[in-house]
Amino acid sequence: MRQLFLIAFRNLLQHRRRTLMLGGAIAGVTSLLILLTCLSSGVKATMLESATTISTGHLNVAGFYKITAGQTAPLVTDFAKVQAIVEKTVPDLDYMAARGRGWARLVSDQGSMQVGMASVDMGHEPRLPKVLKMLEGNVMDLAKPGTVLLFAGQAKKLKVKTGDSLVFSVLTPRGVNNTVDVKVCGVAEDMGLLSSFNVFVPDSTLRQLYQMNTTTTGAILLYLKDMKNITRDMDLLRKALTANGYTVMDRESKAFWMKLQELNSEDWTGQKLDLTTWEDEISFVSWTLKAIDGITFLLTSVLLVIIAIGIMNTLWIAIRERTREIGTLRAIGMQRPRVLAMFVIEAFCLGALGSLAGVLLGVLASLALNSLHLGVPEGLNWFLMSSTVKFAFEPARIFGGAFIITGCTTLIALIPSFRAARMKPVTAMSHLG
Amino acid sequence: MKLRLTFLALALVALPLAARAEALPKEKMVELLKGIDIRVRSSGDYKALVYLEQHEKDKPDVAREALVYRRDADQKLLILFTKPSTEAGKGYLRIDKNLWYYDPTVGKWERRTDRERIAGTDSRREDFDQSDLANQYNPAYVGEEKLGAYTVWHLKLTVKDGVDVAYPIVEFWIDEATGNDLKRQDFALSGRLMRTSLVPKWEKLYSDDKKADLWYRQEIHIYDEIDKANSTLVVIKSVDLHSLDENMFTKAWLESKSR
Repeated sequence: MRQLFLIAFRNLLQHRRRTLMLGGAIAGVTSLLILLTCLSSGVKATMLESATTISTGHLNVAGFYKITAGQTAPLVTDFAKVQAIVEKTVPDLDYMAARGRGWARLVSDQGSMQVGMASVDMGHEPRLPKVLKMLEGNVMDLAKPGTVLLFAGQAKKLKVKTGDSLVFSVLTPRGVNNTVDVKVCGVAEDMGLLSSFNVFVPDSTLRQLYQMNTTTTGAILLYLKDMKNITRDMDLLRKALTANGYTVMDRESKAFWMKLQELNSEDWTGQKLDLTTWEDEISFVSWTLKAIDGITFLLTSVLLVIIAIGIMNTLWIAIRERTREIGTLRAIGMQRPRVLAMFVIEAFCLGALGSLAGVLLGVLASLALNSLHLGVPEGLNWFLMSSTVKFAFEPARIFGGAFIITGCTTLIALIPSFRAARMKPVTAMSHLG
Repeated sequence: MKLRLTFLALALVALPLAARAEALPKEKMVELLKGIDIRVRSSGDYKALVYLEQHEKDKPDVAREALVYRRDADQKLLILFTKPSTEAGKGYLRIDKNLWYYDPTVGKWERRTDRERIAGTDSRREDFDQSDLANQYNPAYVGEEKLGAYTVWHLKLTVKDGVDVAYPIVEFWIDEATGNDLKRQDFALSGRLMRTSLVPKWEKLYSDDKKADLWYRQEIHIYDEIDKANSTLVVIKSVDLHSLDENMFTKAWLESKSR
């Protein structure tokens, strides 16, 4: 085997120009694949970060309460009992936060917009001050009643800054119009699509607005120490809640506000709980990720086909050039499988070296682009969930990509290699080419 | 000087007392509200062609036309949009206490809250429907005022305990001569003014079923008091009191009109 590798390397070195051309092409395709993979990972990481900051925990115990069949509100009544069950049941629980949920018209002197409201109790939100990048004001001022924290895009649209007054206008679960005056306590950097229509308010403000009592909340957001066990934790929780007499809805991969409309058409009244993961809650933007992955697959496939044709062609030429050599090797006793292996190993070496170089190039390019903090045009930042292009590195995905490219180049070499192995020594030796 | 100040103080004290002396008794106020409720209620069927003009800040004005069908005896209401073409076929249907919304572009029915804005305008279902002011609100007398050329009674209505309404506080300006409301202000639970409606034109036509006149607000100007730049104009172009199809207050009927 060592000999075969030696022959392969020697051949690659002997035909340096050809090797560089083909290896370069493989490296190019691999680096493109790595770049797109890192972009996809970056978008996913940003999605996770912004989603788990703005609208969801890793796991959520949300609820819907229907006063009448036609009026659904995102409420969990007597949530302390649910929290007690969570604490007993979820082994990976790091901490949990109860957040109220609402949908309101937010009005300034200069404009208005519809926003999703998340109410926070700053004493139970250790992550929020760390993740939100404040452009002005102080996130901790959210502890004061009658405040609101906006994101940059919203502040721009409403033409307000820290200290300005705004009015929230809502229809309470009982169908009564209510308003509350608030002051902007801070403006945070945009976090993509989710930050365009979500704002934070103190718990007391949401309660005042929706006339909610202190035993009721919108959802309990669970943050886990290890997200690998999220499905198991969810199953455990579902069983525990059901055993405690709660009606838990079947899992549906949709954001809670998408379910509200559907539930309005159902005829039940009372309380139902809904267990979701962070991915369920942002399923309406997950197509971005699918689109990037789709483009990656399409581009890589096309380029891979071109490379495969190139490799096949090159090997055909190599076999033609080395027909007499094959004849000689066969005449001195080299068996057909070894001839086959000789050419396959050559293609493997070329593929492996090319894709390794590609990985290196791709990672370096991603690091360089990361350090440049490239801004994305307005509109596109909605889908990339960030105002700058971010690349993240997942070793398994990166080396998986390199492995696939090496595998493909090796597999494609099998066809010409079979033909080389099938040659009769006499015919090969008498070849004049 | 001292004497003048004493007189001024006495006058200030006497003024509200005089106003209170002329205040309407509660029975009279309830009667006024009942009068409005009865006047706009139709014993038989009711069909109106309504023009809606929506003004919103930084957006082009939108004009809509809709047909409003009512059968007050059964609490039935149907609103079918006919113009513009993008809105044609959309509609609201009240079945029992539920308000349903149909959009033919998606072919789906959605249950909506009874208090929602009609087609995103400042108008509500109540603006097109019969009213029940006397049963829902407790009136209080504010004063006698001038509203343009009209002398009006200014009443403040507060929702009765246990009753759910969109606006828990409403102020009414009722024409002394006709008993029609000419101005209305709706307040949120917080006490903030939400919208002001002006009714410059009332119309009436004789109803055979009712054996009396049926009154309707022919023109309503609704001003959003939160989002100050927004307003809606509602004009009832025509009213027809002939009997309607027996089965028209159904989802199937509205769907058939949407095709």
